Formats: sequence, structure tokens, C-alpha cells
Amino acid sequence: MNVLKVSALTLGVFVLPALIIYICIVFIPIVVSFYTGMLDWNGIGEAKFVGFDNFHNLLFHDKVFWPAVRRTLLYAVASMIEIPFCLMMAVLLNRYVRKGNTLVSIYFTPVILSVVIIGQLWKTIYNPASLGGMLNQALTTFGLDSWTHTWLSEPKIAIYCIFFVSLWQYFGYHLLIQFTGVQNIPSEIYEAAKIDGADGFKADRYITFPLIVPIFKISIVLAFIGSLQSFDMIWIMTGGGPGNATDVLATYMYKTSFNSQQFGYGSAIASFLVILCLVFTVAINTVMNRVDKKFS
Amino acid sequence: METKAKKALAVAVAGALSLSLAACGSSNNNDNSGSSAGSSPSSSATSSSPASSPAASSPSADSGKKVKLTFQNIYPDPNTPTYKTLHQLIDQYQKDHPNITIELDTLNTDQQKLKLKTQANSKEIPDITMVNPAAQMKPFVDANLFVPLNDMLDQNGLKDTYQSGLLDYYSFNGNTYALPDGNNIEVVYYNKDLFQQAGISAPPTTFDELLADVKALKAKGIIPMAIGEKDTWTGSFIFMNILLRTNGPGFLQDVADGKKTFEDPAFTEAVQRFQDLIQAGAFEDGATSIDADTGRSLFTTGKAAMYMLGTWETGSIDASPVGPKVAAFQFPTVDGKGDVNQFMLAPGTGYAIAANSEHIQEAKDFLNYYCLNFPKVQFENKNAVGLPQKVDGDLKAAGYSDLAISVMDLFSKVNGGDISFDNTMNPAVSQAHLTSLQNLFVQKVDPAQVAKEHQSAYDANKDK
Repeated sequence: MNVLKVSALTLGVFVLPALIIYICIVFIPIVVSFYTGMLDWNGIGEAKFVGFDNFHNLLFHDKVFWPAVRRTLLYAVASMIEIPFCLMMAVLLNRYVRKGNTLVSIYFTPVILSVVIIGQLWKTIYNPASLGGMLNQALTTFGLDSWTHTWLSEPKIAIYCIFFVSLWQYFGYHLLIQFTGVQNIPSEIYEAAKIDGADGFKADRYITFPLIVPIFKISIVLAFIGSLQSFDMIWIMTGGGPGNATDVLATYMYKTSFNSQQFGYGSAIASFLVILCLVFTVAINTVMNRVDKKFS
Repeated sequence: METKAKKALAVAVAGALSLSLAACGSSNNNDNSGSSAGSSPSSSATSSSPASSPAASSPSADSGKKVKLTFQNIYPDPNTPTYKTLHQLIDQYQKDHPNITIELDTLNTDQQKLKLKTQANSKEIPDITMVNPAAQMKPFVDANLFVPLNDMLDQNGLKDTYQSGLLDYYSFNGNTYALPDGNNIEVVYYNKDLFQQAGISAPPTTFDELLADVKALKAKGIIPMAIGEKDTWTGSFIFMNILLRTNGPGFLQDVADGKKTFEDPAFTEAVQRFQDLIQAGAFEDGATSIDADTGRSLFTTGKAAMYMLGTWETGSIDASPVGPKVAAFQFPTVDGKGDVNQFMLAPGTGYAIAANSEHIQEAKDFLNYYCLNFPKVQFENKNAVGLPQKVDGDLKAAGYSDLAISVMDLFSKVNGGDISFDNTMNPAVSQAHLTSLQNLFVQKVDPAQVAKEHQSAYDANKDK
């Protein structure tokens, strides 16, 4: 095992600090949270141990839970679908734009803005025309009155409006990652391929994509896990409302823990989220490794 | 020597790197640590420590020792009179008692509620904190987190200054655990100019008149009633007024006592009438994504004609551009039912002393001084509306506005009422109620269905 040929002491010095911190701030809280999930506890007084009751109610009797799971996964999938577009954009920028960096920096701007600012900004864009909503006013100006909506207050569309903002915000982030990846591919390969007759789309299919798969994978995992934990944007724009129409797992967990003061139940939701994250991380890695092998 | 130094440097750098790597690892692939942290006891200690650790000084019985008291409060806005009152009183007290330092932990209401719950989790409540009455403070009292204040209330006649019955909301088993900072009622503020523009001569006295006025205002392109329904309690506040009319006071208590259920006709009728109000277009479009502050500003900038909330808003409405045009009326009767002199009551937020405090006696002494002088200073600071205590003084002579005086008049008419839903029912039922009502703003629901949702939430959580 010891391929690096270093002493156990050196290994310990380098690995232990990070390991201990990791265990303390990640692993132990997860275990504690699983345990709390088995309590009937308001967070303040005495806790009662109820075994798997919370999990049972959550999975079989909770009317809010499964729709929230569905929205969470929908969002995760939507943000994964965004990545190929980022890659395409990166390829185009790299090929046709002389100073691609400037454009990429501009696309990146929303990422450095705080979610609170973005949320408030888009809230005013989505507002009804009577309150100065830009989107509705624009639609009215173009004579599309029938297309106007109270975007964030209609249960059927509110969640998609929020997703759109999140996707818009993180487009630049993934574009930057992909763009850097594309730029790192040596131009000699393309030149050689050109001589062999592979140009344009063909070059992308057989050169760019196989070489960028590892970077692509990072983006996919980041996008997926990031969206499973999405909370802030939704909290700012609708607070999970109207009703529970825009609740995702994280907001629902927060509401049950802190608003309903059912910390045990909230922890059960948190535990579910942990498992969901783990399962999907493993799944994505497996799929991606296959893709990796196929192309290289 | 030099190589040794280099080695040391290398180790240090490696250490720093590993630290930052750990940070990356936790934030990238394990959301769950972050999200579960909030609800697990082990993490709460870290988030709560700064405010709650009292000074490391020894428990001091003698008055000469240095004592630091932490005072968690909900008055963050320096422009409000209460903020000024608080600072005036504390400065004075520290001057009179040089050995006592009072450290403020100032948060807005929602943050404070959250922080206090987290601190209660690990029994690290600040020496003096603030809680909402009745059902909302019951879990804290049940867990013995507050000290009874009975002895302190008897000092300097503090108890007799409070309005009769008010302390009951903060008392459990004969002990009073917190002292309220206010006592408010809910009224409907209205903009006289906008009413005139819509051709409405007098404020409505029946619910049907209210609906007619809503239509008249809407026809003129005026938002009839401003609300910030993203913060769900605002809608519940209005709904509870209707319930108070259709049923009379004490509905929720009757439910809690098992005498009634949510499927009672009085409740479904209230839901129906509330829905009528929403369907008539009483509230601004997209109300469910508008927060309470934005809702208020719709009214204070003259875009909306009515605004229904507790009388604690009087000061800020007075100070706004529409101030001189505003008056207040009582919530009308509903289908001939109810007494307009019964109000939704908001018995303030109470100051409580933590049982884990190392300086209980000092905290009691301070709070006694603070509460005794609170009404006087508030009166001087033009904030006498909604005080928990009796004050003597001529409002007119002291330069109070007509609005403030008319609101004070309404106070004198109060003939009982109810306190808010979340102060009566436990947090889980309240949350179900708030969500269910918010839903009415975006879709028509059969009142029987709403009643059923309430009842099943109540049945599932009543023992907690």
C-alpha cells in the first residue's frame, strides 16, 4: 500500500488534521442527526425516543414530503442538463471569439453576487405589472397580455421561475469550468486531426469531448449536489409558498425544525437528504466512469 | 538551522493546506452536514456561544463585584422610539450601577426567535431574553428554562402598574415568567384620501360593506388592502378577526378543551368569508411573495387604501408620508355576528430571565428598574400607544397625533377578544394553519377541506 514510501508518522502528520476536522464537522453531526431523527423532540424540552416512527410517517403519510423530493430531484436534473449547454457554449467561445476570457468573466458576474441580491432582483422582475414587475410590463408592451402571470404566486409555475433564476445564476460558473477545460486541450491535436480530415463538429465529438470528460464530470457532480441542497434562493423568493408549492427538501426540513419545532422530524428529513446525496453521488460517479472509459 | 526553519515552514504550510482542504470537502460534497447542523444539538453550541456566555466572573452575591448581563432584544432599528427607550434606560442604569455592564444582543424578531430556540437547545440562554406569550413560551417554561418573577413583581409595586389580566398570558401554574413590552389590539388603518377618491364616505361597519368598498377601490385602480403574506402570520391575523366575529372569543380554547372541532360551522364560515375577501381582490397581486415590510410600504406610500395590523404600527405609520391622512376603524361585524368591541389582542413580547444565568438576582434588579421606567420613557419618546402598563399623561398636550389619540380611544372600548393562532396552538399546528391559509391566496379551496386540514394537523400534534 505504501507506494509513497513515507513513514507512518509523516502520513499521520499530513492526513490526521484534516481527518479529525472532517470527522468532527461532518461525520459526527450526521450520526447525531440520524439519532435525533428517532426522537420526538421540540428542540427545547425533554425528548422521547420513538424509534423509526418519524421515518415511517415521513415516507408513508406525509403529503408534503414526496412532492418536495420530486421538486428537489427535478431541480437537480435541470441543473445537470444545463452542463452540456455550458460545454457547447465554451466550445463556441473558444473557437469563434478572439478574447473569450472577457465574455466568460461577464457570464460569471451573477455567481459573485450574493443570492439575496439575485433573489430580490428577480423578485422585482417577476412582480405583477401593478407593482412594477419588469417581465409583465415587457409582455404587456409587446401585446402579450395573456402571457402575464403573477409568476411567484401561482403554485404551478412558481417553482420553475425560481429554478430558472438559479440556472441563470450558475450558468457562468459551469461555463467557466468548461471553458478552462476546453482551453487546456493542446491545439496540436486539433491541427493533426484537421490533416486527417476531422474538423468542426467531428473534432468536438472525437477530441474535445473525450478530453474534457473529467472536467465535465466535476461540473455534473457539483451541479447535482449543489441543487440537492438548494435552500437560499427559494427561501428568499417565496419562502416555500404559496402553501407548500415551492418547498424543496431543505426548506421543508427548515420549516419543520424551526417553525413547527419538530426537531426530531426535521432531523429525519435531513437524514433522508444525506442518504439521497450519497446514493446519487455514487450513481453519478459510476455512470461517469463508464462514460470516461467509453471515450478514452 | 536554515533547513530546520524551512522544514518547519513546510509543515505549517501543509497544515494550513489540509485545513483548507477539509473546508472544501465539507462544503462541496456534504450538504447534509450543513443542513443537519441546524437541527442537531452538537452544533448548536458553536452558533450560540458568543451571546450567551456570561462573563467569567464568579457568582456574585455582593453588589460590588463586576457583573456582565447579556440582554437579548428585538429592537434593532435605531429610528424606532423603543430602541431609544431601551438605550436611554440602559445607559442610565449603568451610570447608577457602575459594577454592572449590560451587553446587548440585538436581533430582528425572526432571527431572535431562531437564535433563542438554538440556545435553548443547549441550555445557554442569555441572562435576559424575550419570548412570545402563551403557547409560544410554554415549551420553555415546561423545560424549566426561565425563573419565576413573582418576587420581583412585588418589588416597588411593579405588578400593579400592568393592565389587569395582561400578565396572565405570561403566567403558568401561578407563576409569572415574563413581563410584556406591549399590549396591542388589531385595527384596520385606512387612507382617508383614497377612500374619498373611491367615493366611500365612511369606514365599513359590516363585512358586506367592506367587500363593497374593496370593489369600489379596485375599480379606481387602488390596492384595497396591503398585506405581506410571504410572512404567513399576516394573513392569519386577518382571518382570526373574522373567526372572532363568527364565533365570538375563545374558539381555539374550546378546540383545545375538546368542546369544539375545526369542522365547527363558525370556523368554516370564517374560512368562506376570508376567501370571499381574497376573491373580491382585496389584496395586491402576488401577495404571497411579498414580505411584511414591503406590504407595509405599499400602504405608507399611498398605493394601498387599507392596512390591517396591530396597533404597534401606529408610530411608523404616523411617521410615514401618508401619516396625516390615516385613521383607524374596528373590524366590521360579519353577517350580523360579533361585537366590534372585541379585538384580536397582541399582548406583546415578554422579557424573561434565564434559569441558567449566573446573575439571576442582578438580572431581576435590572429588569425591575427597566420595566418600572419603561412606560414613562416610552411616553416621552412619543410611543405611548400599545403600552403594557398604565400611564398618566395628556396625549394631546404631549403632542401626539390625531391617529395616535384615536387609536388610544379604541383601546378604551376593548371588551375582550382573542390572541393570535400561534400564541394559542402549539408550533406544529400553527405551521399547518399558516400554510393552509396562505394557500387560499392562490387558489379556491372548499372551506370544509381547510377545516379538515386543520383538524388532522391538530389531532396529530395535540399531545405535544
